Amino acid sequence: MASREDFQRVDEYIWEIPQDYRDDMRVPARLFADTELFDAAFGDRSVEQLINTATLPGVVKYAMAMPDFHQGYGFPIGGVAGIDPHSGVISPGGVGYDINCGVRLLFSQLDREQIEPFREDLMDALYQSCPSGLGGDGRVRVSERELENLLVEGANWALKKGLARREDVEHTEEEGNISGADPSKVSARAKERGLSQVGSLGAGNHFVELDVVQAIYDPEAADAFGLRERQVVVQIHCGSRGFGYQVCDDYVKGLQSAVQKYDLHLPDRQLVCAPIDSPEGRDYYAAMACAVNYAFVNRQVLAMGAREAFEKVLAGKVADFDLRQVYDVAHNIAKFETHTVDGHEMELCIHRKGATRSFPPGHPEVPADYRDVGQPVLVPGSMGTASYVLAGQQEAMELTFGSSCHGAGRTMSRTAARKKVWGEDLRDEMEEGGIAVRAGSMRGFSEEAPLAYKDVDHVVDTVHGLGIAHKVARLEPLGIIKG
Amino acid sequence: MEKRFEEVEHTADIALHVWGRDLSELFANAAYGMASQLTDIEDVVLTDEQEIGLEAKDTEILLVDWLSELLYRGERKHHVYVDFEMQKVTEKELQAIARGGPVKAYHRGIKAVTFSELEVVQTENGYETTVVFDV
Repeated sequence: MASREDFQRVDEYIWEIPQDYRDDMRVPARLFADTELFDAAFGDRSVEQLINTATLPGVVKYAMAMPDFHQGYGFPIGGVAGIDPHSGVISPGGVGYDINCGVRLLFSQLDREQIEPFREDLMDALYQSCPSGLGGDGRVRVSERELENLLVEGANWALKKGLARREDVEHTEEEGNISGADPSKVSARAKERGLSQVGSLGAGNHFVELDVVQAIYDPEAADAFGLRERQVVVQIHCGSRGFGYQVCDDYVKGLQSAVQKYDLHLPDRQLVCAPIDSPEGRDYYAAMACAVNYAFVNRQVLAMGAREAFEKVLAGKVADFDLRQVYDVAHNIAKFETHTVDGHEMELCIHRKGATRSFPPGHPEVPADYRDVGQPVLVPGSMGTASYVLAGQQEAMELTFGSSCHGAGRTMSRTAARKKVWGEDLRDEMEEGGIAVRAGSMRGFSEEAPLAYKDVDHVVDTVHGLGIAHKVARLEPLGIIKG
Repeated sequence: MEKRFEEVEHTADIALHVWGRDLSELFANAAYGMASQLTDIEDVVLTDEQEIGLEAKDTEILLVDWLSELLYRGERKHHVYVDFEMQKVTEKELQAIARGGPVKAYHRGIKAVTFSELEVVQTENGYETTVVFDV
C-alpha cells in the first residue's frame, strides 16, 4: 500500500507518485488535493486504484484523481485518464456502470419567497412527475424502433419528439448527442431494460433537488448562466439506468477474453479493456455511446417533468413559472477530445469516472452564449448541503485534460453511515432545518447522510485554488427527492 | 445449508466477503448475501421459481454471471430470490433453482456486480471471495 511518503508535493494542491514507484506504472499518478484532502486519501483503496489506472496501455502524461476522489471499482471515483487512441485502450471499468451519470441544472425566474407558500405542493408534484425508486417505469415508454433512434440521436431525438427545446440541447455537453453510437453493438437484454425507463430517476444517490441561489461569486459568469441571488433552481442527478448498467456489464464480461487476446496485463480485473483501435474496443465505444445518448435523453425527459410540475402548481399563481436550462454535464464517460501534450495537439480518449468536463472560456465546444466565461461545471454537494456552479478555466486544459470534480465525494462507507444515522432522524432534522424531503427508502436515505461525505465547500475551494474551475454560485437546498 | 457472508467496509459501494465449504455453498451464500442487501429476506414469500443454467470461462465470470442473472430476473418481475437449490456448480458451469417472490420494500438497488479485485480463492476449509456491488 502506498503511503504519504511515496508522494512528492509538486505544488500546493498537486501530489505525485513517480512512475518508478511500481514496475507496471506507465506514467506518474497525480492527486489534486489540499493537505487535508490528501491526508484523507489513505483511509481507503483509492490511491491503489489511482496507481492501477497509471498502468493502462497508452495512458498519457499522468493518471489523475480530482479533489473529491474516493474508492470505487477499477478506477477510483474522481479518476481521469487521457489515452492515446493509436496505442492505448478503452476500459468499460474506467467509465463505470452508470454510463453518463450526470447533472442538469434548470433556473426559474422566481425568488424563494414566491414559491414558499407552494413549496410542499411543488415537492409532491415533482415527486409525481419525476418517477423515482427501483424498477419504476419512466415518463416515456418507447418502442424497440424508437429506442434505436433515441440511442443514435440522443437529445435530437427528444427535440423531434417535442420533449426538448433547442436551447436545452445547445446547453448540454456535446449537445446531448455523441457520434459513433451503434445500437447493433448493444445486447437485446440492455435494449429490453431500456424500453421502459426513459425519464426515470432510479435510486441510490440520484435525486431531484429544489435549490435557492444563496451566493454569487462571479457576477459576469452568473449573468451569462442566468443565475442571481435568491433565485429558485432545480438540479437533476441521474444516468442511463438499467440500459447503461447492462451495456457496461456485457462489455466488462465480454472483454475479459480480449485481455488475453491482446496480452494485456492488468492489476485489477475491473480495469478490463481492449485496444481502442480493435474490433472489441470499437464495439464497446459504439455501445457506450448509445448509453451516453440514452442518459442525455433521460435527464431531458425528467427536465420536462420538472417543468410540468412547476406549471401544475404555479400556473395562475405567479407570472412566470418556466424553467430554463443552465447546463447538463456528464460525469461518467469516455470520449475523444483534443488536448495539448508536450506542446503538441493530440486526440485523446478521455476517461472521466466521477469527474466532469471543465472547458475554459474561448473553447469551441463551450456554448456560444457562455464562451466568454467558460463551461458551467455543476457540482452537487452531499444531500442537504450546498451545491456549486463553477466555470471551467484554462488551467484545466494544462493540468487535468479539461476536467474538474463532480461532487463532494464520499469519505465513509454505507455501513458506517447507517450505524451512525437513522434515516428517519435525518429526515426530521432536515425538515426542521427547512428542507422538504420526499424519499423512498429510509435506509438508502441514511446511507447518503452528509456525514458520509467530504465537505463540498472544501472540495470546491481546492478546485478554485488549483484554478481548474472558478466559483460562480452557491446553491442551498429547499427540497430533496430521492428514490 | 450454512449461510455465511459479512459486509466489508467500502467507501462508495457494497462489498461482501463470502465463504463456502464448496463452490455450491459459496455461490448460494453470495446470492443470499446479495438478497439481504436488497430487502428483508424473511418478508419474501416464495411464489416464483427460476431455473438457471450458466457456463463461463472461469469461476469469477461464472460468479458475476450468476449474481447478475438473479438481479436481472428480479428486476423484470420486481422479485427478490432468497432460496437457492444448487444442483451443480463446477469452476465453469452452474445449474440451480432460485426461489423468491415480490418485495414489500427495497433497502436499495444494486446497479451491477463488479469484477473489482474479484478472486475466488480455495482455502483449507473450502472457498472464499469478496464481491463488490455497484449501488
